[in-house]
Formats: sequence, structure tokens, C-alpha cells
Amino acid sequence: MTRQRLLLILLIGAAGVALGWVLTTTLSRTLQTTEAAPGGEEESEPDPSPAAPPEGTDPAVPRIQATLFFGSADGRGLVGVEREVPFAEGVVGQARALVEAQLAAEPPDSLVRTIPDGTTLRALFVTDRNEAFIDLDATVRDRHPGGSLNELLTVYTLVNVVTTNLPDIQRVQILIDGREADTLAGHVDLRRPLRKNEALILTP
Amino acid sequence: MRRAIARVTAGLLALVAVGEAPARATQPSDAFLRVLTREEVRRLPIVQAEAQEYVPLDEIARMFGLSVREDRLAGGVTVAGATGRQIILTANQPVVSVAGRLVSLGTGPVREGTRWLVPLDFLQRALGPALDTRMELRRESRLVVVGDLRVPRVNVRVEAPPGRAVVSFEIRPAAPARVALEPGHLLVTIEADTLDLALPRVSPQDFIQTIEPGPSPTTIRIVPGPKFGLHRATTSQSDPAASRLVVELLPPGTEAPAPAPPEPSAAPTPPAADPLSLPTPGVRTVVIDPGHGGDDTGARGPGGTLEKDVTLAVARRLRTMIESRLGLRVFLTRDDDRTLSLDDRAAYANSQKADVFLSIHANAAARPSLRGAEVYYLGIDPDEADTPGGSAGAQLPALGGGTRSIALVPWDVAQLAYLDESAALAGLVRQALGERVELSDRPVQQLPLRVLVGASMPAVLVEIGYLSNPDQERALASAAYQDQVAQALYDALVRFRARRERTATAGDQAQR
Repeated sequence: MTRQRLLLILLIGAAGVALGWVLTTTLSRTLQTTEAAPGGEEESEPDPSPAAPPEGTDPAVPRIQATLFFGSADGRGLVGVEREVPFAEGVVGQARALVEAQLAAEPPDSLVRTIPDGTTLRALFVTDRNEAFIDLDATVRDRHPGGSLNELLTVYTLVNVVTTNLPDIQRVQILIDGREADTLAGHVDLRRPLRKNEALILTP
Repeated sequence: MRRAIARVTAGLLALVAVGEAPARATQPSDAFLRVLTREEVRRLPIVQAEAQEYVPLDEIARMFGLSVREDRLAGGVTVAGATGRQIILTANQPVVSVAGRLVSLGTGPVREGTRWLVPLDFLQRALGPALDTRMELRRESRLVVVGDLRVPRVNVRVEAPPGRAVVSFEIRPAAPARVALEPGHLLVTIEADTLDLALPRVSPQDFIQTIEPGPSPTTIRIVPGPKFGLHRATTSQSDPAASRLVVELLPPGTEAPAPAPPEPSAAPTPPAADPLSLPTPGVRTVVIDPGHGGDDTGARGPGGTLEKDVTLAVARRLRTMIESRLGLRVFLTRDDDRTLSLDDRAAYANSQKADVFLSIHANAAARPSLRGAEVYYLGIDPDEADTPGGSAGAQLPALGGGTRSIALVPWDVAQLAYLDESAALAGLVRQALGERVELSDRPVQQLPLRVLVGASMPAVLVEIGYLSNPDQERALASAAYQDQVAQALYDALVRFRARRERTATAGDQAQR
């Protein structure tokens, strides 16, 4: 009887150690990562309303006012436009909601798209140095029309939409297909995180 | 109760087992990464996976005595060395944590079956800092230099002007070199621990038969041809980072050879007595970079004009103008329709020791109304200068014994040292363009441009007009407009050269 009890205690202890190990190694990760799963299954961000889709018009999803960016009517800069985007818990979740809203957003009549149609977000993570990494699929490069100005507007739409709406995030780096990319179309250096570019933002 | 515990344990085991990733299409290649330490040369296999090069993590661990602990549940692995600093890697994530600091790699590590593969730059960017050891990756020569070894890169070039052969050795970082005539060959010895040697293929000629690695790791053997009689060697140091040895193979009886050989890049160092007779810091070599090329067409106008064609046409016109009127050395990064990486363009300018780098492009916008030329120079975050590896010094053995701390400027921010001059050059280009063609309303901009970052000289990128504007597209394709642009860039270059010479003279006078 005492031997059985001892065995039981040992087993509980072993299970506890295993669980503890799993927990600590998972927590020791410095990256807060969320995969951009289409179903909106988000694990690392506890959400009071689970199963909430990240996009769409579900009235149950709380929404916030945010500034999205489009090319100006004359094409020479960016114009900020107030739009409603889904609210998300935490910086990572909100950054993801913002980028997804930006990728899907249709510009108002006079303005133009700056990001190739069909570009999707693969993942987004934020480092402990307050740098956001936006991982896009290769559409953003493959369907890019080229030209320095076009490229600048694409890159800084993404950088500015995150840094403008989430002031905690200082810099943004764009990855393509999970990898560090040289450039989108041969000009702007994407190997380092970029700061917000105010000069490209025009006042309407 | 016991059954419940058994179920929990089984569940945990199942969770651990689920982490197994599907096998990936990897190919072991014949390639090796040579790892050079003071004691020995060892080899790490290079594995190809999805068109990227990797090194197996277990091989690295064995070589450097690291402990590797995999966490399948989280899809990651923890690597620790003797220093106790940990590296945490996550599958397919190009950012790794080194002792709590984040470091970005060219590509993320991948898991292949039971093996972990890490990109080559893992060694320099993650393992070096974790082990507190300098690890320099030289991708081109598939070499990793560990510790404070002196392994200069030696680029050898052979030229055969009439009546002799000229072999030049560019040694980077600088190291003393000497030549000795030995039976049957000339032996070049470079003071270093070993060499990272790039030898050209030589077809036997009158004055040179072949050039090959010598009997020891720091020597190179030149085997002369049948007409060889005597040799002449000159050494020079045209910039602090590199030295140069030029060996001329001459016919017999050339006792009093003609004055200075026409080897403009050699910049032979005259007797150092008179500072005024040092090479003038004007402009001797210009590298023009026609943007895009090959598969990369760049922007396309509504009428079908391609940026890559326009940039090449203007670059060629500009080259002719500079060569014929100024007599400077001019090189194009590409002289035909070929694909060329952005790194190679700046690296080419560096290897030619160019004094000016001009990258030529044509712009495009979403609206056709935009028009006009613009010029850009590098704009980079002020705190970029101290990103990984940026300001880290290195202890290098100094001549005459001892060590010396040297601030290493990583090649990927080489342009930082030239920003002031690049800004001045951009100003002159803007002025000259404005005299001949239409400017946009933002004629000078400072931007994080990839092609300029690695250039070790004043460098600008010129957007010569908007292909997306139908009028400008027609102009850009026309000889008349291309000539106007080339003439403007030529004017800017003449003014920039004058400015450099003026600045140098002023500096000399201030020193006296």
C-alpha cells in the first residue's frame, strides 16, 4: 500500500515536472508570434469573444477608428483615411487587424491602391525592441508595378499604418514568404526595420 | 486515480510525438563551408533546401561543443555554448534570440526530419556573439574565419598590355607583401595567417604561363612565359583598408623602363616626403550602374518602354562622354541586358575603387500626371550604425607584435562614411539636371536605398524621369533626351571633381 502510494506520488511529480518544462520552454520564447490563420484561430492572445472572425462586418466584433493609407489623387504621396477596423486584444493582435484591414481596404474614389491586389498577410510578430515584422506572401513583390515611387508608397503604407495607429511600435520590417527580403522592386532596403515616413504623407 | 494519471502522461507523450514535421526535399550538395581556426581548417557540409543553403545544426554543435535541446512542442530549439549564452531558434522564423537579444538572419532555420538546418549567416550573426568570438562569414569563398586570424582576401588580376604582363594583387585588409625570384618562378609571399585567394584562369602567354597557389598557404607562384626576362614590383596603399602589389613581367634588358606604367588604378605611392605629391583625392574612376536588367525589367511605360533599356542607353552615352572628354576610368556594372543583384553592383564599384557611383533609374507612379527627374542619396536610421556587428571592434594582430583594436565597418553600412559627400553630389546632380531637363517637385530625397548602402564612395541614385507619364516615356526612349540627361550627369561630375580637388587643397593648406 505505501509502495503504491509512493509510486503514485512519483508519477504525479514526474507529470508536474514535464508540464513545468513544457511551460517554461514555451514562455522562454521571446517572440510573441501569431500565425495569420484564415479562420482567426488565435492562441496566444486570450480573447473575450473567441471564434470572432478578424475581418468582416459581424456587429458583435468591437471596432476602433484607425488611419489607413492610400495613394493620393496625383499619385505623389500617401493620404491617411479614417476607417473602422476590428478591435483586438494586445499590440500583436491589433497590428495584425490593422495590416489585414489595410490589405483588404478599397480606396475612396479619388485615391489609389498602393499595395498589389491579392497580397495576404502570412504572419505578424512584435519583438521586445518594439519592432513589428510583417510577413507577406510573394504577391506583394510578384505583382508590383515597379518604379521607386510606387515602391516607396507600398513600403511606407505598411510601415505607416502600424506606426501611426500603434505608437508603441517604432519600426517595422517587411518579410516576404517568411524570409528577409532585399527589396520589393529593386530600390527600398527591406533588410532592416524602417521608421515611419512623415515626408510621404500629404495633407489633403 | 492511477488511470487518470496514466491518461495525462500518455496525452503528454502524444503531444510531444505530434511535433514531427514532414520530411522536406533537401539535397546534400558537394559544397563545404571551410571553417578556419588558428589550429586547423575544418569543414561543415552545406545542404540545399528550397534553393537556400543551410548547415546542419548538429554538425555545428559537434564542431563547437554546443548543447542542443529541442522543444518539439514549441517548434524550436535552444543552443547553448561554454559561455552559457543561449540561442533560441524557431522553425522558419528568420529572427533568433541570442542571449535575449534579437538577431535577424537571411532566412529562418528549417527542420528536416530529425535534423535542424540553419542558414550560413547563423554562424556570424548568432553563434559568434553567443560564443563571444569573431566569426566572419565570407559567402563568396565559402569560408568562416574564427577568432583573430589574419585572412586577407586576395584578388588577383592579370593583364597583358603589349610587351609585358602585369599581375596585380589587391589585398584586403591591407597586409605587407613581397616578391622573390626563385628558380623557375616568382614567389609572392603575403604576411598573414592564411589567404582567401581568388586566382584568375590564365591562358599561357609570352610573359606569363600560369599563376597558382604556392607551397605554403600564404604564398602564390607566378610561372613566367618564354619571353620573360626580369620583373618589377611596386606596392601601394590607396585606401586604409586594402593594399596592392603590382608585379610586372618584362622582357630581358629593360633596365631603365619607361616611366610609370599606365595602370591608373594602382595609384603608385610616390616618396612620401611631400604631402602635395600624394595622389589627389579628385575623381579618377567612375562606376555607372544602369538600373535593373535581365529578368528584372524595372518599371514599364504605358507604351511598353522598359526601364532597364532606358537606363542602359543613358549609362552608355554617359560613359562615352566621360571617357572621351575627361579621360577618366569608367565602368558600367552591366553593359548588356543581364540580371545583376543589388549587392553585386555596389561590390563591383568597391572592387574598382570607384570615386563616384551613379545608379541610373527611371521612375513610375500610379498616376500618369507625375513627371520630372529626381536624385536620391542614402537615408538611414541614425541608430542603424550600431545594429548587430556594426560598431563591434576587433582585436587584430598588429605589425611588429601585439594587437590593435580596429573598428570594423560592416560592408552593409559602408555608405555611412560618405553621406556628406553623397549629399553634395546629389545637390550638384540636381543643379545640373535642372539646367537641362524638367525636375519633379521633390528633386532631392534621402531614402533607404538598397543599392547605395554598400557603396564605399560618394553614391547617388538618379531617377531620370517618369515612364508612367506618356510624354516622358516618349522622351526617355529618345536619343535627344537621353543625351540631355547624360550631359547633365557629366556636368555634375565635372563640378564634383572640381569640388573634391578644392576641398583637398584647402585641407592641405590648413595642415601647413
